[in-house]
Amino acid sequence: MSVKDATPKEASSPFWELLKVQGKLALREPMGLVFGIALPLILLLIFGNIPTFNEPIEGNSFTLFKLYIPILMVTVLIFIGLFGLPIPLLRDREIGWLRRISTTPISPTKLLAAQTVIYLILAAVGYTIVMAGSILIFGVELAFNISGFILALVLATLAMFSLGLLITAVAPSQSTGNGITMALLYPLLFFAGVYVPIQVLPSGLQTAALFTPVGAAVNALNSSMNGSFPSFVSLAVMAAYAAVFGFVAIRYFRWE
Amino acid sequence: MSETVSVIEASKKKSIITVSHLCKQYGAVAAVDDVTFSINEGEIFGIIGPNGAGKTTMVECISGLRIPDSGSVAIYDLNPKNERENLRKFVGVQLQMSALPPRIKVSEALNLFASFYSNPLDPQELMETLGLTKKRNATFKKLSGGQKQRLSIALALIGNPKIAILDELTTGLDPDARRETWELIESIRDRGVTVILVTHYMDEAERLCDRVALINQGKLVALDTPAALAAKEGGGIHMQFAPSHPVDDKLLAVLPGVTAVHHRGTRVMVDGSGDITTQVLYELLKADITVKDVQVKSSNLEDAFVKLTQTKGKTLKTQEAQR
Repeated sequence: MSVKDATPKEASSPFWELLKVQGKLALREPMGLVFGIALPLILLLIFGNIPTFNEPIEGNSFTLFKLYIPILMVTVLIFIGLFGLPIPLLRDREIGWLRRISTTPISPTKLLAAQTVIYLILAAVGYTIVMAGSILIFGVELAFNISGFILALVLATLAMFSLGLLITAVAPSQSTGNGITMALLYPLLFFAGVYVPIQVLPSGLQTAALFTPVGAAVNALNSSMNGSFPSFVSLAVMAAYAAVFGFVAIRYFRWE
Repeated sequence: MSETVSVIEASKKKSIITVSHLCKQYGAVAAVDDVTFSINEGEIFGIIGPNGAGKTTMVECISGLRIPDSGSVAIYDLNPKNERENLRKFVGVQLQMSALPPRIKVSEALNLFASFYSNPLDPQELMETLGLTKKRNATFKKLSGGQKQRLSIALALIGNPKIAILDELTTGLDPDARRETWELIESIRDRGVTVILVTHYMDEAERLCDRVALINQGKLVALDTPAALAAKEGGGIHMQFAPSHPVDDKLLAVLPGVTAVHHRGTRVMVDGSGDITTQVLYELLKADITVKDVQVKSSNLEDAFVKLTQTKGKTLKTQEAQR
């Protein structure tokens, strides 16, 4: 046997190592990446190149394309919240990886935290692609209400990440997790206004949309990107979802 | 190997794990039912038994992954129930049916686990020892069954543990990979690591374990060295041969150690224990009988296993004190 004790080198922190590994895994596992970043980028390029999207809507000063910018940002969040964040965690639990980690001196909570941080970074990259692309490539002019915009973005992110952790917590297996995710995907895309912007829906549906986390997020982002502070309702709805989803997720989380 | 010294030291038999009256119930089923034994420092301690006998539950209680309903476990005077944190620093665990994320690389997994411990082994050297160096950049899903298993063992050892718990580690491996894995376990023991090996393969237990605990239906049925168990419970030695002339049964039946003599056609079969082979051959020689085609089969652990697990409800409590 040639195994000797390692010469003590500078101890690298377990959390930093977990971050590196979860980051590499996220880049190798294309789901979160493709849906979270490639898809909004492609949609951005398509929408940006449809001529009618760039003409001012009748009686308004803004274009349909501009209306889609917050929608695309929330689309990033939907895909990360439904796929990127929970599905690998569900798999890690199902194959016994989380349990394996729990036999070491490190708590699997740290892996959960590292996974969350990695997807926060990916979400930030997704937002940046959508905003920078709209402004730089398509010359959209946005009038940010900075504090409102940051608040809206933070709350939207919290609400959708809490949803992702909630799915991780309650789904007994990866396949049921996939089922839950697929069942939620189309309603969430609809209420975010991906198919048709909320503004063209009947008023009943518009109100209903405002009480979904994604509808509230699009509404709040839209206001803040047009110079005004988001409505109290939209912010409160997102905060409430974040609190409830987060609480239930922590309460019912299982490691095996 | 210079580490033979540590083997000799280990044979001083200092008990480091004590399990007493351990019970764990799942609903109406007693997975572990009043089990008591202790494990010595530096030995390979086998836990064998049929599928569903409670082996995994037992080691999960020892490693602190499960809380026993009653009874206790002490590891170096630590109780896994409330000192899990401390225990994990020096107990390496390889779990049954535990996989890694499919796209994690061999070196990444080892470096990650190394960062979890304060005094880990060098991942490079461990990969070298386990023959994983060529696969260091391969992802987990690209590894063969044997390589996955070796990586899994590597993760159990990377923290430089004093105790390694290995659950069903050669299940699903081809014969070559099994042999490699066995050699690996022996080399771990030679480094002074106490190994708890859960298995349902008798050849594995026979080859590797210093002592085995046989578990059936949650109960400890026997505890001894594999050789002693085989001799005591497996039915001893079976010998058969073709004599040149008919043999008088009485001639052989009176020999010490012989328990039965039967015939099949012209062949004679003698059962017994101890040194019956020499005695039978000597006796036949004296009677001027030559023999052809002698076969001697000593009972093995598997014979003992079959016998002990088929006698339902019968519990032979092998006392530690006997040893």
